[in-house]
Amino acid sequence: MKILRLLLILGLIHQVYAQDVSGDAQKGKQDYYDFGCYGCHGYSAKYRVPLVGDTSGVMSSESVFLTYLRLRSEQNPINPANRMPNYGESSLSDEQALDIYAYIKSIDDDPPELDGVAVMTDMLDAAKARGDGIEK
Amino acid sequence: MPDSKSGKDKSAEISRRAFLGTSAGAAAASLLGKSDTAEAQTAPPASRPALPGQSAAAADRDVGGATPPPVTRAAQRPGSDLMVQVLRDLEIEYIAANPAASFEGLQESIVNYGDTPNKMPEFVTALHEESSVDMAHGYAKSEGRPMAVLLHGTLGLMHSSMAIYQAYQYQIPIVLIAGRDDTNFLRSQSADDIAGIVRSFTKWDAHPKTLPEALDAIQECYRQAITPPRGPAIVVLDTELQKEEAGELQVPAFVPPQITGISRDEAKAVAKALVDANNPRIAVGMLRTPKGVDDAVELAQLVGASTSTRAVIVPMSFPQRHPLCGPGADTDYDYTLGLETAGVQAAIIGLHRRSIEGRDETGIGYGFVRKPRTPVWGPYAEPKPSEVNMSADAEASLPSIIEEVKKLQNAAHKSAVASRSKRHAAANNKAAVASLEKALEERRRGWNDSPISLARLYIDLWSLIKDEDWCLASPTQFSSGHNRVLWDHNKPYSHLGMHGAGGIGYCIGASTGAALAAKERDRIVINIQCDGDLNMVPGSLWTAAHHRLPMLVIMHNNRAYHQEMMYAQFMAGVRGRGGDRAHIGTTLRDPFISYAKMGEAYGVESEGPISDPAKLMAALERGVNAVKEGRPYLIDVLTQPR
Repeated sequence: MKILRLLLILGLIHQVYAQDVSGDAQKGKQDYYDFGCYGCHGYSAKYRVPLVGDTSGVMSSESVFLTYLRLRSEQNPINPANRMPNYGESSLSDEQALDIYAYIKSIDDDPPELDGVAVMTDMLDAAKARGDGIEK
Repeated sequence: MPDSKSGKDKSAEISRRAFLGTSAGAAAASLLGKSDTAEAQTAPPASRPALPGQSAAAADRDVGGATPPPVTRAAQRPGSDLMVQVLRDLEIEYIAANPAASFEGLQESIVNYGDTPNKMPEFVTALHEESSVDMAHGYAKSEGRPMAVLLHGTLGLMHSSMAIYQAYQYQIPIVLIAGRDDTNFLRSQSADDIAGIVRSFTKWDAHPKTLPEALDAIQECYRQAITPPRGPAIVVLDTELQKEEAGELQVPAFVPPQITGISRDEAKAVAKALVDANNPRIAVGMLRTPKGVDDAVELAQLVGASTSTRAVIVPMSFPQRHPLCGPGADTDYDYTLGLETAGVQAAIIGLHRRSIEGRDETGIGYGFVRKPRTPVWGPYAEPKPSEVNMSADAEASLPSIIEEVKKLQNAAHKSAVASRSKRHAAANNKAAVASLEKALEERRRGWNDSPISLARLYIDLWSLIKDEDWCLASPTQFSSGHNRVLWDHNKPYSHLGMHGAGGIGYCIGASTGAALAAKERDRIVINIQCDGDLNMVPGSLWTAAHHRLPMLVIMHNNRAYHQEMMYAQFMAGVRGRGGDRAHIGTTLRDPFISYAKMGEAYGVESEGPISDPAKLMAALERGVNAVKEGRPYLIDVLTQPR
């Protein structure tokens, strides 16, 4: 959590100097797949630990993204499946990392409105209906 | 010498089974000198002296082709008939097995004994012994009581050992019966102490030497299985006992176990604390049977207690959408009672696994047997040191607590309970709606993506089953457990929880067992099935087709052993190399597996792979309609990894 807070602060600072995306999104798409980023984030970076619409600050700039990838090393938690792996330069070059960053940035974030998905509104209505008749 | 009936020369004949056994068939052919090919394959090198060959009878025996010796007097009332009667008296609905010689007597009785053949128990054909036990695991979680499994000692028991271990870890009651043929069959398939194979992770075992003892042992096996701490128990039945003439022997009357709850004084103290409290709370873990759940509901209603539940991750817990279930109107609880889960002021928790320590005679030291500790996942939590802990079965304790509460209640208390219950109901509904709204907001992202969002799968499916009587039999942590907040877990069998020990291959078998329970109860079973799990023991698909089971299999097809891929990925990261090679050995690519074809091969109506989310709802609708008509159905869905 401390790391994330630090990154968030760094991210806010970097947003002032936010760089344009310099990587190649097409190459990044392949690297995103090859390096297994989809494992936690989903094939379109929107699931489980979403990077599209990220609020942690990790995606706030290229430099923060790179720093985050490099920051973690020699960590061996109890359940690695719940943790972000370390990506050192010997495994993933700066160029590849920035390509991945560009790919994630290129993904449209277009969720439907909740009101526009009938099955969702039905679920909410049913939940609310359970409260009908309960004396408040 | 020619056979008098067939005219064939028996010396030149070898049984079909022996002939089909590759190595033994070749050996036999070599021995008989009838096949040039076989002869060539088995001819010894010229430099070595020829070894004496195996006899035809020995070769036949070693591949299982031996004919049982002639029965000198067919039993008019075989012992196995009485064994079946014991199972009937226990109301064991199903007995799953992969057929085997060591229980041929008992199997014959199951299908032929009595006026209503093949019922109570119905013989369920399993394609693997692991599947048999997993079926019993799923059935017991659904119904809170055991079904039986027949196993071939020793080999079938070995096949089933992982599933037995998982049932043991989850404290699942199962009646295991292992056949033992020590005289007429292969020595390599028999043993002196067959139950020893699984002693470390079964609750109890017996190897009766007489028929009366055998009947008692089956009853005791059932008693041990259902008495807390529950678990699989096993009785080994020799073939001789199965075939023995029972004569006038009568089936003994079954004496049910006495399951001990807390003492009367403790019940009075708990009841008084609940009645005196201004804001009581009851934390409900996993009880044993639907009766226990009903009693927990009655107690909560009697005292107007808000409750917590584990119904979203285990069976037999408090109904998730009951008006009292939730944080309640006031979270400053002044008395909390835990039922098979840690409470604050008091916790009634059964003995669980600790009492079975002595059975690990080999000192292997399996988890939980080795040292009690708080599980990362699982139905039981270690109580906090500050609690008043009562080591007794919570379900058995509930009737006396309810009785004492009723004695203490007066009009003023009833009025306060009514008022508090209304406040709790309103607050819990508000919390549930807020939680659902937040969950749905989060799950909009990626709604229309391909591969299909698992959240969408759960939400679309819920719209089709919400008004049905359903059971979610599969573990859901690998598919992100969207059911926990999105669905309503209001029945004792709404969700059957985890594997027991995380062993893969459990899901399809356990779901099939849950479907056995559902079949005659107008219930449908949902199995959100991981691809890696199905590939372990897919034969349960055939069992579901053969027995017309209402099981909807929805493949969570992420084409990987995904968790393990992430382990490899993490390790590569720690070592700073090869992050792009973590897929090697962990993914199911090149070629992709067609689960629809697999389902069809086993006789299950199947479709897919479906990767277009716009086509998902229609496929799910076809599946739900099929299982409502009692037909298993498989939908292969290409999904996001998690």
